[in-house]
Amino acid sequence: MYNPKTGKGMGQYYDKNHRAFKKREWKGFKDTFYEFGRWLKLYGYMAYKLGRHPILMVKAMLRYRWMISYLTAGNTIDKHTIGLYGKELRYTHEYFFTVVKNSIDNVLMFLERDKNLRPKSKKAAKLRETTVMFDEMIPKFIMAGFPTLQWMDIAMMTVGMPSEIDQFSNPTYIDTIEKFGLAADICPFPATEVGVAVANDYPIVGKTFITSTMPCDGSIGEISFMARLLKDIPKFQISPPQRFLEDEVQEYAVKNLKNAIKFIEDNYNVKWDWDAFWEKSEMFNQMSQCMLNKWDVNCTDYPQVCNGAMALYREYEFMGAGCLDPNFLKTDLKVDAMMKKGYEEDKKNDANKPKYRAIVWACPAHYYTQFSYWTTHCWGVKAMVDMECMLAHHFIHIGDKEKAMVDLAILYEKMMMRSHTNGGYVNSLDECWRMCEKFNANIVIMYDHVSCKNVGGLHGMFEDQARERGIHLIWVPHDLMDARTVSKREMREAFNKYMINVFREEPLDPTLVDYEDDLAW
Amino acid sequence: MKDLKHMIYFEQLLEDANNELVRKAKGDGRLALGYTCFHVPEVLLNLGNCFSVRLRAPNMGSFDIATYYMANSACEYSRALLERAIEGNYNFLDALCGVDVCEPMNRSMENMELLKLHENHDKFFRCYLDIPYSDDEDCVQHLKEQVSRKILKPLNEVYGVDVSDGAIREAVKVFNKVCETVRAIGDFRKLDNPPITGSEFHKICLVSFVCPKDMILPYLEETLEEIKTREPDADKKYKARVGIVGSEIDDPSFIELVEESGALVVFDRFCYGSIPGRNQIILTDDEDALTQICRQNLKETECPRSCAYHKLDYRREHINELYHDYKADGVIYEQMKFCTYWSFERTLASHIMQEEYDMNVLSIDRPYIARSSGQLRTRVQAFVESIEFKKIKAKNMAKEK
Repeated sequence: MYNPKTGKGMGQYYDKNHRAFKKREWKGFKDTFYEFGRWLKLYGYMAYKLGRHPILMVKAMLRYRWMISYLTAGNTIDKHTIGLYGKELRYTHEYFFTVVKNSIDNVLMFLERDKNLRPKSKKAAKLRETTVMFDEMIPKFIMAGFPTLQWMDIAMMTVGMPSEIDQFSNPTYIDTIEKFGLAADICPFPATEVGVAVANDYPIVGKTFITSTMPCDGSIGEISFMARLLKDIPKFQISPPQRFLEDEVQEYAVKNLKNAIKFIEDNYNVKWDWDAFWEKSEMFNQMSQCMLNKWDVNCTDYPQVCNGAMALYREYEFMGAGCLDPNFLKTDLKVDAMMKKGYEEDKKNDANKPKYRAIVWACPAHYYTQFSYWTTHCWGVKAMVDMECMLAHHFIHIGDKEKAMVDLAILYEKMMMRSHTNGGYVNSLDECWRMCEKFNANIVIMYDHVSCKNVGGLHGMFEDQARERGIHLIWVPHDLMDARTVSKREMREAFNKYMINVFREEPLDPTLVDYEDDLAW
Repeated sequence: MKDLKHMIYFEQLLEDANNELVRKAKGDGRLALGYTCFHVPEVLLNLGNCFSVRLRAPNMGSFDIATYYMANSACEYSRALLERAIEGNYNFLDALCGVDVCEPMNRSMENMELLKLHENHDKFFRCYLDIPYSDDEDCVQHLKEQVSRKILKPLNEVYGVDVSDGAIREAVKVFNKVCETVRAIGDFRKLDNPPITGSEFHKICLVSFVCPKDMILPYLEETLEEIKTREPDADKKYKARVGIVGSEIDDPSFIELVEESGALVVFDRFCYGSIPGRNQIILTDDEDALTQICRQNLKETECPRSCAYHKLDYRREHINELYHDYKADGVIYEQMKFCTYWSFERTLASHIMQEEYDMNVLSIDRPYIARSSGQLRTRVQAFVESIEFKKIKAKNMAKEK
């Protein structure tokens, strides 16, 4: 917190010569002690789980470049919680611990199965026989019907997660693929994914591989590279329709999904288990309800779970864990209760009203997931909701097999990075204004992903319509996973300019207006 | 070689999307249906008094306004079309049949919709087809549903066009005549010293996409007859025979640039090219024509967006087949700048075709209007020279043996 007397603020924690924070923030005894407890819990869990395989851990770090990034997991939590106190600090810690815990479990699964690390291990081979490998944008929830099988998202493990915890994780692979010949204008996400393929840096942890055509053209382009890398492994593509607002397309979508289920049944000699599916669907519905509850609260004057905690948690709950990890539901229910209590308190005291209410729209920068925390701390602009967490939030009809299949198809047609960027401009453009109204926000933190041809294709329309509606559209350029194109500092600069020149605003913490963090994870 | 009788006329037709034959057809009360992508079955836009116009933006200068709307990361073709639409060049259209196949083209058409462009009369309609990614029967049925609901139904209900099976079969007949003629002309390129150049053929092929089929057919047939007796130059003008593979090319000057650099373009496996764009549709009587057309469209598409695993292999095998059929010395894999699909396809294929199929491959990206690109010219020249060197080396080695 900025102290006008000493001139010290949160900018003091960053240093151009260090990757980690220069020092830890003193948040008062209670909050600092709480954070210390969380720190112990996190590293304790890491030691408990990964300490079982010290040699494999070292081998993994020597074999896979991306694996090094996982060492910075603790810093990820720090960078999202810096400047937070009281209940907001607790919501965020609860969420991030669950996300990191799930990732640790995945690392353990990978260590136990990987063919590259354990080529001669019979135990590993046996585990691979019951494991399905997934690409990132996959309806993983179909595994709810296969309780005897395991699954792993090899793209999330190698690309998605490392990119959000360490801004230096992906550029190496982007360079690899650009040297191979891929044009530099391609979105860094699929570029990194194929870079990992060309570098042969994917772990082989299962018997089959399921990929998809989601969410964009780059994902489709990526398929040919993955097909070559995994040429000896049975593969399947899930390819949902694009114009998913049309009822007529669902028949094709369901057929495609059923073919995916059959592919798993045939390759693993198992049968789809409806009872298990219904059980997990109950859990899914509860998770979705908790998400909707957060939105409802954030529509009021006293929003509770905002910024990155809200967005990233849902992304990982749905995309990373497939809504199949009961720990997420446990956390959901816990934070739901905390949030409702917090709302009542704030309402009673008329406290903690945000200075500016914003929504976050378009694809965010993976290397700067804490950006909306910075806008809050520096300018008082708080994100009530984030486009990327507004995904797959309808309910599964439990007990009705046909309807449930349609529900499942729609869930994935409306998944992350797809829900708003596919299916016609109404999902992106009209929905943005609708959300501004719903969340009572007149600022849109508009991520301008410079390689995204999808959202970029509506650039002018966003400008025109925002002006017509009197909404402040603050374009924040970035290049998703390549901070060399647009650095974090440049992202902040774009926002600063708008706040200074248009709002004529003074920063809440002047030390955060401009600082160097090019080296920070 | 002696100039072809209609070549100047063809070039004139390519100068404007609303060309002389289009204007004439419109004057006769016919309906102009615009489209851009192979995935819209072209023949279905030629039912009854309808005719298809595959959209181009010839002589495009700057596209600053389109860049404002779509950002500069969108492919130049999509921006050029939007710019040209804003300029009013497509106001003659009675419908616009788009596809949600690639992001920039989809957004280009959506911008046209949001800007309410070329909605000159109440009956104008536009659509976005949802195109599946493979060619199995589920996909065929899906495409059929899309085409029926979004193109045939409004054509029938809004304009009273006969969309019956019989009408479709009639359209296929005319369509096949055009395809047969264009492909027959193209087959001359298989000869050692062909009586037609790649750029001439490209212009002939292009006019068949942008003019009413029945009106351009007599010119094409006459040109075919003329080529049959056309004497090629005694000395070959080219140093290497190449095929061009890749994304959209509707700019004849690009093929001219390649041929001016010492190559002869012998096959055209790109959007707006004759392979597969000018394949005939073979119908049987035991199934409705619409289903068969949709099936053939999905089977024959060579767009990298069609990403089922067997399609990946199919595209490479097909290039290999064409390479040998047309006795090519090399292949130019090209992509429009900012085309995501072809960037991935070009990158991987340029390695595979060289390393596994032992082909000479040049891998390039290019702007929409390429005629003034000195860099491209240099690269093609260097490619042609490298093929020449290899030929000389092979010849010398054969002599030594």
